Amino acid sequence: MSSPLILLPGDEVPSEYLPSKSSAPLRLGHGLRLLSQPHPTPGSTPSNHTLTATQPGILSTDNKRNAVSILSSSNRRYIPTPNDLVLAQVHHSSADYFHCMITPQSPHALLGQLSFEGATKKTRPMLKQGDLVYARVLSIGLGAGAEAELACVNPATGKAEPGGLGHLTGGMVFDISTGMASRLMKASSSSSDQQDGVAGLVVLDELGKKLEKAGGFEIAVGRNGKVWVDCSNSEHDAVKSTVAIGRCLTMIDEHNLNPTDQRKLVTRILREMKIESS
Amino acid sequence: MNKEALLSIAERDFILDALREDVRLDGRAADQLRPLTLSFEEEHGHVKVQLGKTSLIVRISAEVAQPHDDRPFDGIFNIAMELTAMGSPAWDNGRQGDLETYVTNVLDRVIRHSNALDTESLCILKGVSCWTIRADVHITDYDGNLIDASCIGVMAGLQHFRRPDAVVKDGQVIVYGLDERVPVPLNITHKPLSVSFHTFDEGKLVVLDATRKEEQASEADVVIGMNNAGDVCYLSKFSGSPVDAMVFVTKTTVALDKVKEINGIIDKALQADLAKRAKGGLAEESRAANDR
Repeated sequence: MSSPLILLPGDEVPSEYLPSKSSAPLRLGHGLRLLSQPHPTPGSTPSNHTLTATQPGILSTDNKRNAVSILSSSNRRYIPTPNDLVLAQVHHSSADYFHCMITPQSPHALLGQLSFEGATKKTRPMLKQGDLVYARVLSIGLGAGAEAELACVNPATGKAEPGGLGHLTGGMVFDISTGMASRLMKASSSSSDQQDGVAGLVVLDELGKKLEKAGGFEIAVGRNGKVWVDCSNSEHDAVKSTVAIGRCLTMIDEHNLNPTDQRKLVTRILREMKIESS
Repeated sequence: MNKEALLSIAERDFILDALREDVRLDGRAADQLRPLTLSFEEEHGHVKVQLGKTSLIVRISAEVAQPHDDRPFDGIFNIAMELTAMGSPAWDNGRQGDLETYVTNVLDRVIRHSNALDTESLCILKGVSCWTIRADVHITDYDGNLIDASCIGVMAGLQHFRRPDAVVKDGQVIVYGLDERVPVPLNITHKPLSVSFHTFDEGKLVVLDATRKEEQASEADVVIGMNNAGDVCYLSKFSGSPVDAMVFVTKTTVALDKVKEINGIIDKALQADLAKRAKGGLAEESRAANDR
């Protein structure tokens, strides 16, 4: 794959761009849909998919996980898609569910009280209004006003997969665009040798290097345009580092900085906030 | 859904913790404004204000009307503001919320009741006709501090606006079109502006020009309206936790600095616009017509 492939909604994904490994099933990510599968004729291989893009963007493939998705640009509104990781806020709870806000002014999403790692009727987490959870979109209802369902656990294994799902305590939430959120997800999941590629985000690596001595930081990126940052490991500069990370992310998002400028910005903001960096 | 979404507990706690260490989310100092830009459109009295991420448009318009019976010598000046769904998804069209009532009230008191616009100069013929000046405020994006932003917009609009010239000839009112006579600027007596502060931590921490998140996490707000000369024309502290009296004294000094700073920005923008218009030839053309 030499040049990035740009797809428009309705475009078919050419099969030569798909990951070639056929041992594991192909994982479909954001913005792609299996609209129709041609009847396998006896001679053809079973990996003969017809994939269609539902959003405009750059096709991105991950050979290691045998996954394929569309890296789309920013939307003003986040629309939940199954398997997205989101940062939700508990609005109220009922007998079986926590009613969560993924985006304000949209119908609440349901998060089962038992869909946490190791939760039973007796040990379920007691979340109150305003608590934050990092969750995966399990399913989305059909039609307007339908409720999406969230889960903090993989129903098949009973584990919080990928790690980190569940209640988030402390830290701070920063608002970013949905495009930036998906770029951050991509940047954190891809290996470091392709960091200057499609996503072009070096900010997290850069911040990680600079803040390593101070205790590092935790980050949870929600596809709904929210980032949770926590630096409680560092003793004295916790607040300052958190604000610095938030400012770096929002500035890069607003001004669409390239990797060189991102590095410069990180250095400048850390100096401005008077944080010792290594 | 016509309610602002509540902040999460983590955000609320963090904002407070950060302020205790004198750190704000956008790296500003406690008494620092967000970047303010003003731009004027082609028509007089059409202003765009951008204060951080809060942005709004103000249109000033004038028409001839009959003065109120009890004030035959006075013109009429109204400020109309409506929070529509364009500004924030938390607002509903056609439904008045608390914020709208509050901001409209403050604008009325700071600008209208302090007589910033000399309404007597709007009278054309006693008891028969006068100018009605109307300021429409449209919010296009909302990230806190609506009061100050709209105050800046209305004041800049009033200074930028030119009304058509009108004369009385033999008991007849003649209004000249904008291309017939050079339009007249409004008579501004003084330039009041509001400066809002938000208090945190039982009134111990006071912050200027709060963003939406900071506003939501705050306990109370204090609005000071004053002009360049330091005359306080409005002061309010409606609800929330008590605020120390010294806060009012110290913050009035800060407010004066800010009012001067903002008025400086408005003046600069007005002058830049005037220079552009002079070059554009619109004013020049009408001036030449007058000389003849």
